[in-house]
Amino acid sequence: MDTPRTPAPPTPQLLRYAILLYWSIFWLFNMLDKAIGGAHFLWVGRDRFAQFQKYFASVGLDSPHVANAALAVAAALEAFAFLFFAGALLNELRGRTRSSHRWALIGTLFTMGTFTFFSIGDHWFGDRFELLEHTLFWFVSLASWVVFTRLKADEDTTPVALPRPQRIVAALTGGVLIITTAAAIFQHNQSDFHKRSAAITAEPVGDHIYKVAFPFLGGSTVFENTLAQFKEEHPKEAIQHIYTVPNPLRLKKADALIFYILTEDTP
Amino acid sequence: MNERRLLRLAILVFWTLFWGLSVADKIIPDVQHLWVGKDFFALFIKFFGSLGLKNPLFATAALALVSALEAMNFGLYLAALISFRKGDAAVTDCWFFRAILASMVLFSLFSIADQVFGDRFQLLEHGLFWIILLASWIVFRHVPMAEDTTVSLIPTEETRWTVVAGIILTLATSAVLWRFSEATFHNVEDPVVGKEVVHGLYKFDFPFLADKVVWENTINTFKEAHPELKVRYIYTGPSELNSKKKTHLLLYVFTEPA
Repeated sequence: MDTPRTPAPPTPQLLRYAILLYWSIFWLFNMLDKAIGGAHFLWVGRDRFAQFQKYFASVGLDSPHVANAALAVAAALEAFAFLFFAGALLNELRGRTRSSHRWALIGTLFTMGTFTFFSIGDHWFGDRFELLEHTLFWFVSLASWVVFTRLKADEDTTPVALPRPQRIVAALTGGVLIITTAAAIFQHNQSDFHKRSAAITAEPVGDHIYKVAFPFLGGSTVFENTLAQFKEEHPKEAIQHIYTVPNPLRLKKADALIFYILTEDTP
Repeated sequence: MNERRLLRLAILVFWTLFWGLSVADKIIPDVQHLWVGKDFFALFIKFFGSLGLKNPLFATAALALVSALEAMNFGLYLAALISFRKGDAAVTDCWFFRAILASMVLFSLFSIADQVFGDRFQLLEHGLFWIILLASWIVFRHVPMAEDTTVSLIPTEETRWTVVAGIILTLATSAVLWRFSEATFHNVEDPVVGKEVVHGLYKFDFPFLADKVVWENTINTFKEAHPELKVRYIYTGPSELNSKKKTHLLLYVFTEPA
């Protein structure tokens, strides 16, 4: 016997969940980042203590307690923003729309307050990029509140049943694209992953001048292995200088790191 | 206070602080004790220099004009905030509209300059500020908001528990932050220990807290620890060698027997 299908929540309701979930997760992970501190296995995050300490040291406030106090204020704002958004989400899930509205409003005010607090610091410490970032977040918070209040949770939206042929074509096209993309990526991994550590052969481009063009996968291990190999291959030469080609001399995004090794004969 | 007033207040406070601090940044030149800010004078001198106008009078006059417009902006936002405080909605709207219009004109002028000086990133930055101002005005004036939703200061059972949870979370996070700060603060001056990665080549992985003092201590400590070696050359690893956000700065020291 067929059981009647539970009707899906209307579109505005799903978007209201999405907005509250986004801000709850956003603040939860910001708090986690502060609580974990530093880079660990499976978590890098951002070293906020180092960032705050350097900011305050730049204005002459070297004591770590100043950075700690500012971080504690930020942590408090973030904790309350998280709790009010999480509370709004819980109320929304229980169908208590009015309570959800009130909780989300307080969460939004904490969010806007947090970004206002950060933007004061950006002016003070002269970080214009962070000022833009925090102003954008301030505005995103305000805009998401406007959208949230315009979406009526109980608004009736008539679900549109997609025609069966369209669903089959979409599924087949999607499947083919997924398989093709995945195959290309796995093949790229097999052919290129060794570049993550393999040494690069330095190419002579002049008298005692050698060029090393890094692959995009290259990092410090490639650099060290390359120098070790170079020294083995050129025992009669000593590295005198390494010149890193600056960005304006590279072919936009096509060139990764390029450097030149300048040598002199060993006595 | 109802929802509409709260959000209007948040918008007014943000933009008043924004312009007030921008004006303060122009008044306080260069880097001072308790203020870093941005050296707009140097920026303007370089911009005008790139056009061939090397006389500092051009940059100074342009900066004075910009500062005057910013001061005017700040005055308009402050007037809107004071009117808001007095509860005069019509006057607040009037002042705020003037402030928004003046700010948009200022960002339009900045955008013209960005195109003349060829600074596309600043053009994007000013374009974004411009649209945020416009959107702020629309939200402030034209988006209807509930007058009946208020943030009451009388706590309910739920909000009381939320405040308790918030205090506990803040204390827990602050305790972890304090411990992390105590555990890592020595990185502000401790020398970094080098690792020989290739014969005669030492790698130094600098922590995020490190600055020039750490660099000096590192080199001096290395020289003391290795009297048999002579530092031949120091190479700063470019950002491409870093493991994205995990590595702060890599330094390679090339040595030879003393």
